[in-house]
Amino acid sequence: MAGPSIRIKQAGESSKSTNTSGDDSSHRLVTFLQSQSQNTLTRLYQKPSSCLSIFRLLRPLERQLVMNLLWLEMPVPAATMAAWVTREGKRPYHDALSNLARLHILPQSPVKHALNPTFKSSMRQAITGGGSSGSFGVLTENDDKHPPPDIESLDAYALERWETILYYMVSSGTGQFPTKPSQGVLYLLQRSGLMANVHGNTLQITSAGFQFLLHPPHEQLWELLLQYLQMAEERQMDLVEVLSFLLMLSATELGKDYSTENLSATQKAMLEDLRDYGLIKQRTATSRRFSPTRLATTLTSSSPPLPTSTGTGNGSQAQGFIVLETNYRLYAYTDNPLQIAVLNLFVTLKSRFPNLVVGQITRDSVKKALANGITAEQVISYLITHAHPQMRKNKPLLPVTVQDQIRLWELEKNRVKSQEGYLYTAFASQADYEYVLNYAKQLDVVLWENSSRRCFFGSVEGHANIRGFIERRSAAGNA
Amino acid sequence: MDKPSHLSVVIDLSLTQWTLCAQSTNPPGITLQDFLSQLLAFLNAHIACKDENTLAVFGAFPGQSVMLYSSTGEVTTTTAESTDANTYRPFRTLDSTIMSSIAERLDSYDGMTEEAPIGLVGCLTKALCYINRTITTALSSSQGGEGAAASVDPRILVLSVSPDQSSTYIPIMNSIFSAQKLKVTIDVGKIFGAENVFLQQAAHLTGGAYVQVERADALLQYMMMSFLPAPAIRQLISVPTQDRVDFRAACFCHKRIVEVGFVCSVCLSIFCQPVPVCSTCRTKFPMKTLQRLRDARPLAAPPGNAPPRPPVQKNGTTTPARPG
Repeated sequence: MAGPSIRIKQAGESSKSTNTSGDDSSHRLVTFLQSQSQNTLTRLYQKPSSCLSIFRLLRPLERQLVMNLLWLEMPVPAATMAAWVTREGKRPYHDALSNLARLHILPQSPVKHALNPTFKSSMRQAITGGGSSGSFGVLTENDDKHPPPDIESLDAYALERWETILYYMVSSGTGQFPTKPSQGVLYLLQRSGLMANVHGNTLQITSAGFQFLLHPPHEQLWELLLQYLQMAEERQMDLVEVLSFLLMLSATELGKDYSTENLSATQKAMLEDLRDYGLIKQRTATSRRFSPTRLATTLTSSSPPLPTSTGTGNGSQAQGFIVLETNYRLYAYTDNPLQIAVLNLFVTLKSRFPNLVVGQITRDSVKKALANGITAEQVISYLITHAHPQMRKNKPLLPVTVQDQIRLWELEKNRVKSQEGYLYTAFASQADYEYVLNYAKQLDVVLWENSSRRCFFGSVEGHANIRGFIERRSAAGNA
Repeated sequence: MDKPSHLSVVIDLSLTQWTLCAQSTNPPGITLQDFLSQLLAFLNAHIACKDENTLAVFGAFPGQSVMLYSSTGEVTTTTAESTDANTYRPFRTLDSTIMSSIAERLDSYDGMTEEAPIGLVGCLTKALCYINRTITTALSSSQGGEGAAASVDPRILVLSVSPDQSSTYIPIMNSIFSAQKLKVTIDVGKIFGAENVFLQQAAHLTGGAYVQVERADALLQYMMMSFLPAPAIRQLISVPTQDRVDFRAACFCHKRIVEVGFVCSVCLSIFCQPVPVCSTCRTKFPMKTLQRLRDARPLAAPPGNAPPRPPVQKNGTTTPARPG
């Protein structure tokens, strides 16, 4: 029975209430695309598979507006379109319109609205099938010598590749030496700011990297891919080709082989990188066929991209393995070294069994995590996402005491703020004190004053000025 | 929020009605081929919206109701899979499964014998059973975690060209009540033919859209704007609803559509004339009440004609007299 609990504001939360009903921000790729030029986007929209994948990343209202306009030949007057939405929908409608305009799908116009013609024709081709772009991937014929890989081996491959990367990040700096991912991956990690070259050749994880580890797999994957896209220009790779290959992958089917013959040179160069991240699997490095793994086929959907250790779960609830008690003790039913390493970031682990790890959330462990840059919200959402199914019976899921305490420990960091400066005391008279104080106030360097004790505190920058002022006054007084 | 949504489509495939529809010029009609191609584009659009959207298609043939396609793969075809790089494979599978299932069944009907009434009610009940099964499996696997309420937003779309069958009143009302319990929205698209009383009530009671298609060649645009939005988004984008609903019912004894009738005070079954014993709940009514009602009853219309449509407002029905 949860009694009334004091709602503790997180550090840095704004005072206006957050709107949680269906107002989620756009997908990261959409934000990236909005920063590209119209030319780039129009070239991208020539392929039906890219249009379909980008369409799936839009928000529901935006999708509906696009669908409404897709099969119309004439432009629609703006007033007619505005009449389609209800009163509550007015603000989301305007947000949707501006989002679509920035993506150059629905150009802004005060009078009439019409879809971007390239996007319109490609999207129609995507839905009805047709055109000649071959953009959904060419399937290879069945080869008896090399049958396409089965789904379990694809999942195992993707999982192994992905966990190698994450485990390398987690265990850097702890003295263990796990298997290194390939050079391309290491370069990517360094460029994205997740790891940094601290002492010579070894890479150490940064605070952004710690936060990255606690994100759900979809967000992690997209963060790396966006970094890859940003690096594409420097590596002389055409951004449109890279992006259309990725979006084509998201429309492929699991368990089938695709041929590499229709890919451009840029896209063939990408094959190696995609192998390293675990998105595709090839039998050899020069094989002419590749098969996408679950990480690739779920790029634009929200199904779980990685299987769990207990088999492919229906939703992330099947991955839950953490039991958290009200006495801050934590029991994690796992033997996966990556998960244990991630838990070690904010939990003091006490004992380890073949299938179980026992630990306690203490002030020191949470402080250590906070010092690494992880926020209390991330810790709490990680615990919620990976909570054991048995915890579902509790309402709320995590004990309120533990949640509040983690947030309080975070607020402790903000309890004291320090600034450097100089303290001026021992003035001869009240008039002296006030004269100097007024001068300092004119310079706007006073941080604290106490007139009953005749002292004030000035900042570092103002010190030279104040000192000069006092010296001039005392020289003038003595002279 | 961006939840996956489920759509079950019930297609009215009565051959006589489709032939009439193709031949009609005022209002302009549409052939079955054109209709199916527009419908397939609409179904592809539904799947295009989200990867996790699910779909089930049922065909109401004369005398039988058949499941033509379902996302969970219960219907398989024997046609070879084509490897076309220009089509998204799920669309291709969906289209070919539906077309081949319809073609197989339609071949078995010849034009000689009189056509049996279509299995619309059978399709409705099968759709509801399918939805119930998918909801219970989804709930049991997610085990009611925080914020994981019904993860599907189910709706049924009925595309109809045939007139009312008054014998189906009771089963249709029962389906509507089950749909209300499951929180399923029933949308209706009337492509040809007069207004369908029972389907109007279905759309109204479950909060769905009822659309009388006037220009059948623009059917795809009607479907996109009225039937594609998921229920969650219908608060933001408005879909057409009716402001005048025909609330007539069919009597339980002869299955005729009536405006004024007699209602049992125990179980609320409707009769067109006073009966001594209620056929549903076996309540006996006193003789004196029956005589009083028979004397006061307006002159009965000859059996077999439906009475002319009354101007009924949305919130009221014509009040039947209550015996006993």
